[in-house]
Amino acid sequence: MQATQIIHAYKQAPWRVQRQWVGAFLLAVIGMAMIAALYLDVTARAALAGREIQELRFEITTIQRANADLETRLADLTSTTEMERRAFELGYRPVKPGELDYVAVPGFAPPEPAILLAAEDVVSPAKTLPVEYTQSLLEWVDERVKFGGPQ
Amino acid sequence: MRQTYAVRSLILVVGLVFVGLAVIVQMIRIQNSEQAKVFISQGDRYSGEFSMVYPERGEIYDRSGHLLAGNRTVYELGVSLNEMKDPEKLGHILSTYLGLTYDEVHNKLIDSPESWEYVVIQDYVGAETVSSLQQLMQQMEDANDNGLSGLGFKPHFQRSYPENALASNLLGFVTRDGRGYFGIEEKYNDLLAGNPVQVWVPRDPNKAMEIPKVPNGTTLVLTVNRDLQAKVENILDDALVNYGAENGTIIVMDPRNGEILAMATTPRLDLNNYTDYFSVYDNGSQYNRAIGMAYEAGSVVKVLTMAAALDTHTVRPDTTYIDTGSIQVGGITIQNWDRQPWGQQDMIGCLQHSLNVCLAWIATQMGPQNFYGYMERFGLGHPTGIDLSGEAMGRLKVPGDSDWYNVDLGTNAFGQGVTVTPLQMMMAVSSVANDGRMVTPHVLYSMLRDGHQYNVPSQYAGSPISAETAHTLNEMLSISLEKESSQALLPGYRLAGKTGTAQIPTDFGYDAFHTNASFIGWGPADDPQFMVYVWLQKPSASIWSSETAAPVFSEVAEQTVILLNIPPDIVRNQLALK
Repeated sequence: MQATQIIHAYKQAPWRVQRQWVGAFLLAVIGMAMIAALYLDVTARAALAGREIQELRFEITTIQRANADLETRLADLTSTTEMERRAFELGYRPVKPGELDYVAVPGFAPPEPAILLAAEDVVSPAKTLPVEYTQSLLEWVDERVKFGGPQ
Repeated sequence: MRQTYAVRSLILVVGLVFVGLAVIVQMIRIQNSEQAKVFISQGDRYSGEFSMVYPERGEIYDRSGHLLAGNRTVYELGVSLNEMKDPEKLGHILSTYLGLTYDEVHNKLIDSPESWEYVVIQDYVGAETVSSLQQLMQQMEDANDNGLSGLGFKPHFQRSYPENALASNLLGFVTRDGRGYFGIEEKYNDLLAGNPVQVWVPRDPNKAMEIPKVPNGTTLVLTVNRDLQAKVENILDDALVNYGAENGTIIVMDPRNGEILAMATTPRLDLNNYTDYFSVYDNGSQYNRAIGMAYEAGSVVKVLTMAAALDTHTVRPDTTYIDTGSIQVGGITIQNWDRQPWGQQDMIGCLQHSLNVCLAWIATQMGPQNFYGYMERFGLGHPTGIDLSGEAMGRLKVPGDSDWYNVDLGTNAFGQGVTVTPLQMMMAVSSVANDGRMVTPHVLYSMLRDGHQYNVPSQYAGSPISAETAHTLNEMLSISLEKESSQALLPGYRLAGKTGTAQIPTDFGYDAFHTNASFIGWGPADDPQFMVYVWLQKPSASIWSSETAAPVFSEVAEQTVILLNIPPDIVRNQLALK
């Protein structure tokens, strides 16, 4: 009699068992939804960043083209014939050897040709990103299932 | 009743589970089937595209940073046939803007094969034309007119030369297929062009970071001084007019390190219109006569003969020679340029009056082994190794060659029967101006790659003569110029040099009416900082180099001392004392 009472005391009511199952199921669903939302968020952000990188690359190419065009245009405007024409227009004429004065400047060394392109783009060696930074969750799971580990 | 529901529910659950499992099994089966691999590969194929990335061709600068060769954007103008709405209107508009006929454009649009989705109307269209067309497109779009639908512009680079024909013989040019021809463009084509890379460009933005960066071609800095080059070209062009010469060459080099400061030849090519090449030149050797055309230089070779004789102690500056006006060598009579005897002369007099007989005598005193040994050491008959494409070797006949005769020893001593390029002569004579050390001429000063500058070190091609011989001969050539009151002299500067008037060989002997006039000189004599070579082909105003090439040398020397900031000797010595 006493034993039966104890069993009754600890036995869950059927509705409580059902509620527990429903709760566990909902918890699992919420957990999966959170993971899915997180994954979606990360993937969307990565996609946006990727698109931005693609656009920036295009912009870099466009700017490099514009730079090359401007450099060539500048060279056109400062070419020998153009500079000579402008100098004559301003009233200058070629100097004669006897018209030059030479002055000794202590410590002066004539400039040597130096690096001409200060803004030359430095290309860093190609870096290999760890797979964790490039692989999606699904790709990781797929890899685990297929090969049992990273390849 | 409850039991019935339970059984039904169970059956339903089992059914649903079975269906679910069947779906999962089918998914797994499909994904691992043979067909799936085909679909996956098809999907991969459309997940991106292979693209050949051509790096921007490296630029070329002069030693002061003036751009000599760069790149500018031009466009490939084409039409997407699927998007095209009105080929007639496209034909009318494009023919107007591109300078084509209506039929040319219209036929391309209408008669293209059906499999084509895109047709190129014209390539290398300038930015101004494209800008005008883009404005027109915008205006038409605003007016809901789709007459230019399908028109597209693909930008790419084209080589551009801001100085047009300046230093064209040095630079060479790049054709539309991206290959360099002649000069620097050909010699350093691989460096300038860079390495084209075929890349897989994924459409998946997540993989954007995998697109590799292709480094641009190497930028080159030349030893050439643009302003001096321009001056020298002007002087050369004027000289051709003033002296009625057919063509000409002037080289300015630093004899201390072999840096080419200017190299002018005629005719020159506007590099932005390189397709004129075939109308300007008959053959490739004419493109840069300074290195590509060997000729009998005449008496300038006497400098080398005298250097060899002094170095072998065959003669000294005060050695005397009685010039009778002729000498027999190998059974053939050799005469002076004026066919006159000049009596007793020392070695300075032999150089000053450019006596063939005296120099032939010197060569016979040295003997063929010594003479040709020295000529070989001076580099005659060998390319100088300059970093320009298209260098000729010249010809030095030596004993043992089937066409060498004993008389050649005498004639070669005064520059007849031996062919050299102007640059070969400069390289050989640089040993006289540079303490016996012969420099290797070069045009490349440095390379710029990945933000670093790599300077090209100067190279020496041996010491054919001793420093003592070089100093002695340097002094002798200075004195001979001064005594001669040469037109090559430049007030305020002590210079050294030698004229060369050479007959021109033809298939029927030597041309009786035309000569090649040459002059090689350098200065300041006590500290040579520049060396100039002048070659005028067939001057008609005078056949003598002393009246044609020598004054041209003086003009070049005048501009050189100004642009290189070389003070007159008296000022330089005063500055050195301070």
